[in-house]
Amino acid sequence: MKKEKHSQKFEWLADFKAARRRSLKDRWNLSFIHTYKPVLDDSPYRAFKTLKEYKKWCSGNLPSWLGYGQKL
Amino acid sequence: MAKSFEFKQAEKLRDSLRKHKVRYLFLGKSGAILLGYSDTTQDVDIFVEKNEGNGQALVKSLKNLGFKLTIEMEKDITRGKDFIQLRNGPFDLDLIFAPDGIESFAEAWARHVTVSEFPVCHLDDIINSKEKSNRLKDRETLPRLKAFRDYWKKLTQK
Repeated sequence: MKKEKHSQKFEWLADFKAARRRSLKDRWNLSFIHTYKPVLDDSPYRAFKTLKEYKKWCSGNLPSWLGYGQKL
Repeated sequence: MAKSFEFKQAEKLRDSLRKHKVRYLFLGKSGAILLGYSDTTQDVDIFVEKNEGNGQALVKSLKNLGFKLTIEMEKDITRGKDFIQLRNGPFDLDLIFAPDGIESFAEAWARHVTVSEFPVCHLDDIINSKEKSNRLKDRETLPRLKAFRDYWKKLTQK
């Protein structure tokens, strides 16, 4: 388990170093991958008075794996 | 409908916000990406200082960028709704006026980092915000983001 964690951190470090060799433009363009998000992408605009209100809306309206959902 | 968010659009956003003297910071994963983090994301979150003058400047900037704002939407922005999702412009943008885990805009501004003229929240604030929001997807990605913070701090201290 400890060995596994160490190997994961080593892999992450290699990722970070590789990213550092790319330009900001390349890094940004490689990072933004758009997929359709049900409900969230269906309205052009939403506003919430507080974040608490937004979280409540998420739990009542979004699939469990989106927003503040607690299940994948 | 989901749209792409290319770097040239990020530059346009940055330039327009600067032109209109909006006080804001990149937050969330897009902020981390500006700092060098490698991961994927779908939209941009900006933390905006909450006051009417700054809200009015933001409205002008967003309209200039091509966001279609009604009078009601403008009021939401200038009078301080805490969280606004815009899907009515050239790219998707979330406006956050009171993020979890960050006491005030002034405090975040005092710690912020500038990368290619993009004002970005410090990684400690990005991580605090994700920890406090306690989303499942954030809890899963936080160990990697924290590992990046260690790497980034070593680089910036050199």
